[in-house]
Amino acid sequence: MNHSAHEQYVEFGVGEENYAIQISDVHEIIKMQDITDIPNCPYYVEGVINLRGRIVPIISLRSLFAIGEEPFTKTTRIVVVHHKDDSVGIIVDRVNQVAVYADIQTPPERVGGISETYFVGIGIAAAGLVGILKLDEVLIRE
Amino acid sequence: MLDLSEFRSVYLEELDEQIQIMEEELLRVEKAGSAENGIQRLFRAAHTLKGSSAAMGFFKMKSLTHEMEHLLDKVRNNELQMTDRLTVLFFQSVDLMKILQQEIVQHNQEMSDIHAMTLLLANYMHEHEHEQLQVQEAPHSSKLVPRSAAKANELLSRLEAASSSGVQFKWVKFTLAADCGMKQARMKLIEMSVCETADLFCTIPDLSAEWDEPDNHRQLDCLIGCPLTTEELAARLEGLSEVEGIEIQECGMEQLQSELSPKKEAVLQEPAEPVIGDKTKAQTIRVNVDRLEHLMNLVGELLIDQTRMQQLDKDFRQQFGSNEATQELEQLSDHLQRTIGNLQESVMKVRMLPIEQLFVRFPRMIRDLCRTLGKEVELILEGGDTELDRTLIEDLGDPLIHIIRNAVDHGIESPEVRREAGKPAKGTLRINAAHEDNQVMITIEDDGAGIHADKILRSAAAKGMISQTEAESMTEREAVNLIFHPGFSMASKVSDISGRGVGMDIVRTDIERMNGLIEIVTEKGKGTIFKIRLPLTLAIITGLLVQLSGRTFVLPMTNVTEIVRIDPAMIKKVKGVPVLFIRNQVIPIVWLHDHFGYERSDHTKKHIPIVIIGRAEKRIALAVDELLGNQEVVIKSLGSFIGKVEGISGATILGNGKLALILEAGSIIKMNINSY
Repeated sequence: MNHSAHEQYVEFGVGEENYAIQISDVHEIIKMQDITDIPNCPYYVEGVINLRGRIVPIISLRSLFAIGEEPFTKTTRIVVVHHKDDSVGIIVDRVNQVAVYADIQTPPERVGGISETYFVGIGIAAAGLVGILKLDEVLIRE
Repeated sequence: MLDLSEFRSVYLEELDEQIQIMEEELLRVEKAGSAENGIQRLFRAAHTLKGSSAAMGFFKMKSLTHEMEHLLDKVRNNELQMTDRLTVLFFQSVDLMKILQQEIVQHNQEMSDIHAMTLLLANYMHEHEHEQLQVQEAPHSSKLVPRSAAKANELLSRLEAASSSGVQFKWVKFTLAADCGMKQARMKLIEMSVCETADLFCTIPDLSAEWDEPDNHRQLDCLIGCPLTTEELAARLEGLSEVEGIEIQECGMEQLQSELSPKKEAVLQEPAEPVIGDKTKAQTIRVNVDRLEHLMNLVGELLIDQTRMQQLDKDFRQQFGSNEATQELEQLSDHLQRTIGNLQESVMKVRMLPIEQLFVRFPRMIRDLCRTLGKEVELILEGGDTELDRTLIEDLGDPLIHIIRNAVDHGIESPEVRREAGKPAKGTLRINAAHEDNQVMITIEDDGAGIHADKILRSAAAKGMISQTEAESMTEREAVNLIFHPGFSMASKVSDISGRGVGMDIVRTDIERMNGLIEIVTEKGKGTIFKIRLPLTLAIITGLLVQLSGRTFVLPMTNVTEIVRIDPAMIKKVKGVPVLFIRNQVIPIVWLHDHFGYERSDHTKKHIPIVIIGRAEKRIALAVDELLGNQEVVIKSLGSFIGKVEGISGATILGNGKLALILEAGSIIKMNINSY
C-alpha cells in the first residue's frame, strides 16, 4: 500500500470516532435525504435515494460497525462514493474536513472494537487517530 | 491489404436480407408453383450475393450463388422447369448459405465444404439440359438509358426549384484510387458523405440504379447544390479514403438545362418504359440501436421531471393561489406534458418493429418439422403487422419457437391418428398477434390432441415432482400447469425437436422477465392454446400504485388481473390459509407486509383493497392498504450493489421525487405458492 503524505482524505465522524476516505473515491457529500427502504436486505443497507434521477443505495456505518442507532441530526451527511460503476452513499454523523495525514500506520487487529479488515491504515492527526476505510471491504456484498 | 471491415457489416446486412428473400420466395414457389416474378426475385438475390460475395472474398458463397443463379437464369428463360426436386435443392443451398453466413459472422471465414452442393446443382443442370427445347441467346439487357424521361423531368424541375431559391450548383468529380476494391460500395460511401455536406441532385453513374459499369470505372460525378465556396467544400470533402482526386466545378442553371433537355428529347423518342417500382429517394435510414436506447433514456428522464413539475405546479397553486404566474406555470406544465407524451410515443414507435420479423422464420421451421415428423400442418399467421419493442421481439423468439415446436411435436397428431379421430389429416397451427389495450397478445393455437392432465400427473409423480396425494387432489388446471414446472418434460424420448426437459419452464421465465404472462387453455382431443400477454415496451410500463404500511409500491399492470374491494368477512380459511372465493376460484390472500417485515395496518376498515395478480393459472390476491391509481413509470434498476431482491424488480421515481419499488409478480407468486 502506497500512501503518499500528500494524499487527501475526507474525514468524518461516526459516534465518538473519526474515519476517513480517500478524496478520489468521494463523489459528493449531500445532506440527509428521504430514504426508501428495501425489504429483505442486509441490516446495514438503509435503502435507496433519488439523486437527481439516479438511484443510489445507502448504507449506514453505524449499523455496519454496530455502534448503535441514533436519530439523524442536522449534521448527518451522506458521503456518496464511487463503487465499481455505481455510486453508493454512506451515512455519517458529521463531515469534519479534508485532511492530509503525515503518518499512516498499519491498523491493529481491532480498531475500537471494529475488525481491522475494514481499514487500510490509521491516520495520526493532531486531534487523534483516524481510521482510514478500505472501501472495497466496507462495500462488500455477499 | 485492403481493409474490408467497413464493408463487412454492409455485406452481412445484405446477406441476411437476401437469404430471407430467397427463403420466402422458395416457400411461395413451393406452395403456389413457380411464378415469374418470384423466380425473377430469386435470380436477383442470387445475382446480388454472387457479386458482393466475390468482392468480399467469400468465394464459397460466390460459387454457391453462382450455381443457383445459373439454374435460376435457365428457369426464368423457360429453359428449365421448376420441379420439386429443384426446390428442395434450392432449400438445401439456402441452408448451406446460412451455415456459411454463421461462419462468416463468427470466424470471418467460410469453413464448410460446398463441393457436394455445387456438384448437385451442376448435375441437375447437366441432366436437364437435354430437355431444353431451344437454346435461346438471352437478349442483352438494354440498360443504355438509366435515366428515363420521367426521371429527367423530375431532376430538371428539382433543379429549377432549387435555382429559383438561389442555390449554387457545383459538379464534384471524384476519382477513386486505381487499387480501390468494391468501387460501387466506395462510391455509395462517398455519396453518403456528400449528402452530409450538401444537397445532392444526381450522380454519374447513377448509384440508385443497377450497376453496369466496367470494373475499372473509377469516376464519380456528383451534382450538388451548396452555398460553400469551392475551397470550403474541398476542405470539407478532404480525407475521404481511397479517393485519388477531387475536382470541383461551378456550374450554372442554363448549362444544366441545356445538358438535360436534349437528352430529355432523346429519351422521349424511346418507347416509354413502364415505371415499375421507380426508385425514389430512400424513405428510411438505418440507425444504431444504441442511439435509440439513449434517446429512450432521455425521454425517461424527461418523463420523470415532468411528473415532478406537475407536482410542483400543484404545490405552488396551493401555496400562492391562482395568480398570473401560477397560471402560466400551469399552462407551461400542461404543454410540456403533451409534448413529452408525444415525444415518448414517437420514440417508442421508432423502437417498434412489426412482429412479422419474427413470423417470417416460422413457415420454414414448420415445413422442416413436418418433414422430419411426417406430419401435415397448415400454418396460419395473423397480425404480422402488430408492432412491439424491438428488444421484446428479440427476446420473444426463443420462447415462441419452443412453443411452436412443442405444438407440432406433441400437439398435432400424425395424419393417420387425425383421420381416425375424425379430424382433417392436415393440422392447423394458428399464430396470432394483436394489440389489446396497452399490451400485445400473442396466441399460439393448435387443433391437436390437447394436453392430457392424467398423463402429466403420472409423469410428474414418476419423476417425484409431486406426491401421490398431491396428484390426487390436483385439479385438471393445476395438472396442466405442471408443464411449467422446472425439470418437467412430456417427451418419453428426447428428440432434437423438443423435450429436453428444460422447455416450458424456461419459456415461462423468459416471458415473465419481459413482464409478461403466459396461460394455457387446453381441451382433450380439441387442441391447445397458449396465450402470451406482453407490455409494448420494457423501459416504460403502466404501473398500479399501491400503498403498504405508508410506502408506495408499483405493480406492473400486465400482471394485474383484477382489482376488488372485499369485506374482511369474505376471507375464509382453508387448511389455516386465508383465501378468497371469487368466481368459483379459490385464491390465497397474501399480506406483503409479512414478507417485507412491515406492520400490518389495522383491520378495522370496512373494505380491504385486493389486487389479484396472476401467473399461468396461479392467482394470488395481494391485500394492500390503499390503491393510489395507475401511472406510466420508468423502470430503473436498483444497481449492482443492491443486486437481486426477492419480490422487487426495480424502482421508479414518482412525481414527488420519491422512489417507489416495483414489485415482481412472478417471484411474489413463487414465494407464496410453495406454502400452499
